Amino acid sequence: MSGVADVLVVGAGPSGAAFSWRLARAGAKVLCLDRGYRVASEDYPTAHQDWESRRIRDFNPNPNVRRLPQDYPVDDEDSPIKPLMFCGVGGSTIMWSAANPRFHPSDFRARSLDGVADDWPLSYEELASYYDVCDRMVGVGGIAGDPANPPRPERTTPPLPLGDGGVRMARAFDRLGWHWWPVDGAIISRPYRGRSACNNCGPCEMGCPRGAKASADVTWWPEAEKAGARIMTGAAVSRITVDSRNRATGALWFDENGVERHAPARVVVLAANGLGTPRILLSSTSPRFPDGLANSSGLVGRRLMLHPVAAATAVFPENVGSYAGADAFSIFSQEFYETDAGRGFVRGYLMQVTRGQGPLITALGGFNLDVPWGTDHHRRFEELFGHVVTVAVLCEDLPDPDNRVVLSDRLTDRFGVPAPKMVYRLDENSERMIDHGLAKAEEVCREAGASEVLLTRLLPQAGFHLMGTARMGTDPGESVTDPYGFCHDVSNLGIVDGSVFVTSAGVNPTATLTALALRAADHLLNRRNLETSWN
Amino acid sequence: MELTDRQRSNLTAALDTLLPGDEWWPAAGALGLADRVMDLASLDPSHPCMVGEALSVLPGDFAALDPDTRTSEVEGLESSQPDLFGVLQLLAYNAYYTDARVLAVVESRTGYEARPPQPLGYFLEPFDESLLEKVKARAPFWRRV
Repeated sequence: MSGVADVLVVGAGPSGAAFSWRLARAGAKVLCLDRGYRVASEDYPTAHQDWESRRIRDFNPNPNVRRLPQDYPVDDEDSPIKPLMFCGVGGSTIMWSAANPRFHPSDFRARSLDGVADDWPLSYEELASYYDVCDRMVGVGGIAGDPANPPRPERTTPPLPLGDGGVRMARAFDRLGWHWWPVDGAIISRPYRGRSACNNCGPCEMGCPRGAKASADVTWWPEAEKAGARIMTGAAVSRITVDSRNRATGALWFDENGVERHAPARVVVLAANGLGTPRILLSSTSPRFPDGLANSSGLVGRRLMLHPVAAATAVFPENVGSYAGADAFSIFSQEFYETDAGRGFVRGYLMQVTRGQGPLITALGGFNLDVPWGTDHHRRFEELFGHVVTVAVLCEDLPDPDNRVVLSDRLTDRFGVPAPKMVYRLDENSERMIDHGLAKAEEVCREAGASEVLLTRLLPQAGFHLMGTARMGTDPGESVTDPYGFCHDVSNLGIVDGSVFVTSAGVNPTATLTALALRAADHLLNRRNLETSWN
Repeated sequence: MELTDRQRSNLTAALDTLLPGDEWWPAAGALGLADRVMDLASLDPSHPCMVGEALSVLPGDFAALDPDTRTSEVEGLESSQPDLFGVLQLLAYNAYYTDARVLAVVESRTGYEARPPQPLGYFLEPFDESLLEKVKARAPFWRRV
C-alpha cells in the first residue's frame, strides 16, 4: 500500500481483524501492522511426534518462555499471574482455547447494581447485535436457551462432545441443583464456511490445523483481505506519531532488520492487547505528552484486570479419556455468577469444566497436578493420566488503579523498546471469591465421583485475559477513550482491544472485545459520513 | 556443551533416579536418553550450562552411589538449587515422554494411542441434548438491569 492509509491498525488479533474487516468492506484503505507472522496450518505442532515438547518451548503461550524473535518480553516479577499471548496474524487467538461466552447485562452496571467499580458507557442491548455478527463470522458451537443468559440466536453448530468426564460433571451439577450449560465455544462441531469440524484432538491452545477453532487468521482476516485490507508482518510498532493539532499521523515501527520506518495514516487504531497497547501509548512521549500519549487522565496502564483463576481437579478412579476433546472447556456453570451479598463478596465467578492434557504435560504437573519424581512417579502418572477433569473458577477482577502496566526499567525488546511491566495483586474481594469458588468446585468434583480432588488457589500461568488499561468512559478526567474507544486527547486514535474494558466481568473477554471493535468501526464510519473525509 | 564421560554417567544415573524403571516402565537413563537431554538443552541458550551446574552439585561419584543415596542427593539438589533441578527435571521428562518406546508403554498401560493428536483426532460421542432436560426446565435467572 503506497501513500497514506485511511486506517492503520496495530495488531492482527481478533479485534484488529474485526475492525479491519468492517472498515475494508466500507471502502477504507486499511493497513494492519503486526510484529509477528502468519502461521500456516502445517506449522502447528499437533501433527508431529514432538508436539508436547514444543508446548513447553516455542509453542508456549507465555512470551517469556517462548522467546521468539517477534515476541517482546513482559516484566512480570511484580505479578503472581503471568502473561499469556501471541504475536502474529490471528494474535492470541492462535493460542486461544476459544471459550467464547458473552458478558451479562449486569456486567455493564456494576456500580449501579453493586456499588463497586464503574458502569460502562453502553449496555448489553447496545452490543447484542454486534455479538450476533461476531457469532456468524467465527461460528459458534453451542446451544441456545441457557437460562443463565439473555436469549440469543440459534448457535452455528451443535456443542462439542462433552466426553465421559464432562458428562459426569454435568450430572453432578444437576444433582446439586446448580446451573450448567455447554460453553459457547468458537469451535465448530460441523463444517462451516469452508472450515473443517473439530475432531476432538485436544490441545486447542497449540493452534488448530483444521481451522475448526475460530482463530482470526481463518475467520475475519480472509474476508478482510478479500475486501482489500492489507497486513504487514514483522512490523513492530514502537510509537504513535502526532501533529501539532494533537492528531495521530501514523506509527513508527521497526522492520525485522531493526530499521525504523513510519507508516502514515489518517486514523490510527490500537489493537495490541491490554499490555501492548498501554506499552505503545506510554512509549509515545513528547514535550506535549510527557506522560505518554492520550494520558491526560493518568489512567493509561492503570486498572489492569486479569481474572484470577483457581482450580479444583477431580481425579476419577476410572480412565475417562480426558486427553480427548477441546482441552479448555466442555461445560460451564454460572450458578454463582451474579452478586449475592450472603456470600461475602460482590460480583461472581464462572466455573468452567476443562479436560486433561497429554502425557508430558501431565507428568510435569499440568495446571494443577502433583506427580512426584522417583519411585512413585509411574504409579501416580497412571492414576492421573486420562483420569482428571478440572473445574476452573474464573473470578471477576475488580479494577484497582494500583494494578497497572508501566514501562520496565530492566527489560526491552530486541529493538530497545521498553517491555511492559505488570504490577498486580489480588484484592480482598477476589480472595473471598476464590475461597467460595474453590469450595463449590470441590463439592461438584466430589459429587461427580472423584476419588481425590486437587486444589490450587491461583494458577500462575493464567494471564490470558488482559483488560482495563485504557478504559472507556464519558468523562475525559476519568477515562482514556470515549464510549466508542476513541481517545479523548487524540480523537483520531482508537483503541479496540481489552484495554478499553471498564470492568472485567466473570467471563472470557474475546467475544466482547471483538463486538466492541465492530461497534467502534461503525462509529468511525458514521463519523466519517458526518465529516465527509477521513480527517 | 559436550559431556565428559563422568558427566554422561552421572546424568544417566540422575535420569534413572528421576524416572526409575519398574515392571512396565523403562528407566530413563537405561534408555540412553542422556544425549537426547543435551540435545533438548541446546534449544535454550541457558540450559546446557544449567545442566552442567546441576551435575556439579551432585557428588563426582554419583553414578556409583546406591539408589537410596542417589535419591537423597537429588532431593538435596531440589531443595538447595530449585532452578537447576527444575531445568534438569523438565529436560528429563521432555526426553522421556517424547520417546517412542515410552509412548508405547503409555499406550499399553492407559489406552492412549502413541501418536500425535492430529490428523486423526479422537472420536467422542456427540453432545446429547437430553442431558439438558433439568437445566432447561429452570426459569431464566440472569439479572435484569
